[in-house]
Amino acid sequence: MVAIDSLQPRNRRLRDVGEKSGSIALAGSAVVGLLFLLVLVWQIAAPTVVSGANGEIAGATEFIPENEFLVEWKAANWDGDSSYLTSQILIEISWDDSNGSHVETLNVRVIEEQYISADVHITESGLSENTVEVSKKEDLAIISSMNVPVKIEQISGPVPAADLTGLPEVGDFVIPAEVIVLWGEGPVFEAQELLAWISLLFLTVMLTRPIVSVLPYLERAAKQARYVKIIAAVFALGTMSFGTLSAFLGGLCWWACGVTVCRIGAGVTRLREAGREIHQTDRLLHSISNREDLLLSNRMLIVFAFLFIPLEISIPFLTERFQDGIYPYASGLRAAFYGTIWTMTIAMIVAIPISVGAAIYLEEYAEPNRITKLIQALVTNLAGVPSIVFGMFGLAVFVQQGGLGWGLGPSILAAGLTMGVMAMPIVVLASQEALRSVPSSLRESAFGVGCTRWQVVRDHIMPSAMPGIMTGSILAMSRIMGEAAPLIVVGAAAGIWFDPDPLAALDSGNPFTDFTVIPVAIYQWTGLEGEAWKSMAAAASVALIGLLVAMNSVAIILRQHFRKRLKA
Amino acid sequence: MSKVRSKFDWSANILFVMSTSVILITFGIIQTLVFEAWNFFSELADSRGWLNIDWNFSGIFSNDGFAAIVILTAFGLERYLRNKKTVLKNLPSDLFHPNLLVKVGIWLVVLLTLFFGESLWIFLCALCTVLIWRRIANLQEATIRGGDGEVSGAWISTVTLVFGFAALMASITHGFSGALGEFFLQTEWTPSGACPDRRSLCENMSFGVNSLLLTTLQVAFGALIIAIPLGVGTAIYLSEYAHPRISAIVKPTLEILAGIPSVVYGFFAFLYIGPLVVELGSWLFENGWIDDPPNPLNPLNGAIVVGVMILPLIASLSEDALRAVPNELREGSLALGATRIETTARVMIPASLSGILASIVLALSRAVGETMAVTLAVGTVAAFTGNMFLPAQTMTAYIAQRVGGDLPFGEIGYLTIFAVGLYLFMITLALNLLGNRILEAYREAY
Repeated sequence: MVAIDSLQPRNRRLRDVGEKSGSIALAGSAVVGLLFLLVLVWQIAAPTVVSGANGEIAGATEFIPENEFLVEWKAANWDGDSSYLTSQILIEISWDDSNGSHVETLNVRVIEEQYISADVHITESGLSENTVEVSKKEDLAIISSMNVPVKIEQISGPVPAADLTGLPEVGDFVIPAEVIVLWGEGPVFEAQELLAWISLLFLTVMLTRPIVSVLPYLERAAKQARYVKIIAAVFALGTMSFGTLSAFLGGLCWWACGVTVCRIGAGVTRLREAGREIHQTDRLLHSISNREDLLLSNRMLIVFAFLFIPLEISIPFLTERFQDGIYPYASGLRAAFYGTIWTMTIAMIVAIPISVGAAIYLEEYAEPNRITKLIQALVTNLAGVPSIVFGMFGLAVFVQQGGLGWGLGPSILAAGLTMGVMAMPIVVLASQEALRSVPSSLRESAFGVGCTRWQVVRDHIMPSAMPGIMTGSILAMSRIMGEAAPLIVVGAAAGIWFDPDPLAALDSGNPFTDFTVIPVAIYQWTGLEGEAWKSMAAAASVALIGLLVAMNSVAIILRQHFRKRLKA
Repeated sequence: MSKVRSKFDWSANILFVMSTSVILITFGIIQTLVFEAWNFFSELADSRGWLNIDWNFSGIFSNDGFAAIVILTAFGLERYLRNKKTVLKNLPSDLFHPNLLVKVGIWLVVLLTLFFGESLWIFLCALCTVLIWRRIANLQEATIRGGDGEVSGAWISTVTLVFGFAALMASITHGFSGALGEFFLQTEWTPSGACPDRRSLCENMSFGVNSLLLTTLQVAFGALIIAIPLGVGTAIYLSEYAHPRISAIVKPTLEILAGIPSVVYGFFAFLYIGPLVVELGSWLFENGWIDDPPNPLNPLNGAIVVGVMILPLIASLSEDALRAVPNELREGSLALGATRIETTARVMIPASLSGILASIVLALSRAVGETMAVTLAVGTVAAFTGNMFLPAQTMTAYIAQRVGGDLPFGEIGYLTIFAVGLYLFMITLALNLLGNRILEAYREAY
């Protein structure tokens, strides 16, 4: 014990220095993560931009002895009748041979007329033609028959749209997205999808600013709610039967329209029953049941469908191009993208119902006995097991034949089941958290009026816990979507050139059971030789992070919405 | 009053069956790993026997033997004094309560043995001696004060016994062979050795998993060295200092860092951190600090990237721990005139120490199990060197690399990954159990 009297006054300056430096050090450690993130984003985003000055064919410095050089233009620059629509396309071709150096100029006229391709041969005496006509979107091949390097450079005119040698489009990103609004080569929309989208937009606007003159019709429709729903379902199925993504979204829009009509109509009826006038639209907003949730789901659907119904966004890197063995820049993630989607779908189907059931059991039913404690401890510890161990479990159980093995082989189905098993503990923990946050007064009052346990769970607890469970499930899915290790163990292959079939493993005659996913593609592309593949791996990373951010932002929007609703 | 017999509740039973799937999965994992690992060990034992020990009893007179004797003596002394309270009471108390100068001197000796001692066991000997000394001092104080005399820190004697036994075994043997001895105690990993039939077991293959394990530990502890100061510092900053506007930037940053897939981290390490580490390494090489020119794939690279990956985990768990400390403690300290940094260092950190420790243990488990980043950053050469600038291979990277190729079922290469996987699973399971136990204990404390 130190006597109080013997305490010395502290050195104030020393104390201040300690205080300042300590807080600066702590703040610095907090900022390091941010700095690292910035460097990471910069380093990954930078290689996806492939340099090439405008007006110059990228890759022209690569020499092409005895080879073809293919280019094509998207739009015509020559009206077929002696005048240039845009500017003149001049290509300078130069080479050195035994007779000295040659420089020749080729004038390319791109015409509207279809299906005319052209070849230009380079021989020792010069070019076979100095002016050449070629259709838009057709190949112009420049063929050299000499054994010397030839340099090809465009000196004027519009840039070629695509370069079939797999070299990048000039001055462009590796992940170009094409956006077409309603009318590309003819109409890109299907009339019924656009109609569905516009009706949903109209009805969603009605939810916030009701138009009085329309309301009686909606009320009359809602009196026949069953028929409205049947009609909406028929329209939805009819639209979905086209089988494309935009048709699927259009179908969803029809169904959402049906639900919204019924809700608004019922709201109007309730308003009248309460003895109010139809003009009191501010009252109407309160009499529509669950208006906030309806509004949220409609808005999300409208925004998402907007990208595909009135617009037509296509990202060839993701959805059209397969991996190209020779030309890195011609590669894409098509097989990996669909592989990821199918793997995630199977994982969700496997994991979510069982895990939510397990969480309900643990939170609502289980007595605190030894088995419950064991299950709880196992769930907590399984969530921390390395992902590669789950991969080995999948390898031994789902992939391998004999013993415990189901013999599915390295296929989408085995991969999806493995991922589902991996996601289970995470979803269980998230769902338990959500169920725990439901106030126990809700539970007790439901028991108080004589509900059975299952009725309490189904009608009272699940509706309140659902947003939390959904958020947790989406976050869990986005976490396992980035996992490559278990799928490498399960046997994701490289260089897949066909769309994966999720149930291929069940059909023993099907040779196309191989699959790959985006993280595995990144891993494999990183390992390949050459700067170009690094660029492609960076592009795939950007695409993967983009998908994850999209999923997470849906989860965050849901969380914010329901948190606000709980507070209100 | 007649009791109405309740109807058979289908929902409860169906949900119970759903929750038992977790038990099924766990036992499935353990069963597959143990089954295939057993196949591996028995195949290995067919040609080499299970465990052969090459005794060398004269080794007791070496440095290691000395260390073993000292550690075991310390252990015995602690056991003796714990049971003989009267002896403990009569010992001069000045012996055990040195002043600050002596304390610093002792820890300096321990650290110096770590850096300049020729043997790990000598260092452990010094460490155990100091720990046992402190333990006896605490016991004596408790005994003099009265009561039942039981104080916390019983783990020290267990640890001492384990170290002592290990040191003893190390000193009186030349080496171990046979299936178990080779796998757990040797340091050469050439599972596809140069023999005509690469697929089956042959004599010049060796399976000393320590080569992989030591690299794993090198990467994991390197990651902790990076992540602990940054993570705990971030947590303290967020819970004690940060303006809400700053924490509105820092927290989402950490969430994004946690959400980036590990393969992207690996790609980043491969592309960007590797060359930076090589620059550092070649500077060190030119100045003669390291013996070999550096390679872009190395454990240091892996440690940096894994450190950043586990940073969000440490930061968020430690922040939870700091926020769980009652506000009275913080305010009491501030009211006594302590500055904020003093409050943090002397009140908040000790009060939340178990939570911070749990976060570190869980982060260690995550770092040990991390696969893709490590595969891309550390390399695929299964040779452990103390040099952190040379390529090596971790346990997870070995599994990922091995299955990446053509791997027929049931052959030795296929079986090795399960043996390594079982070892990995055991290590991470032990760490997770420990971390979750600590977490629960401190959650109950407040």
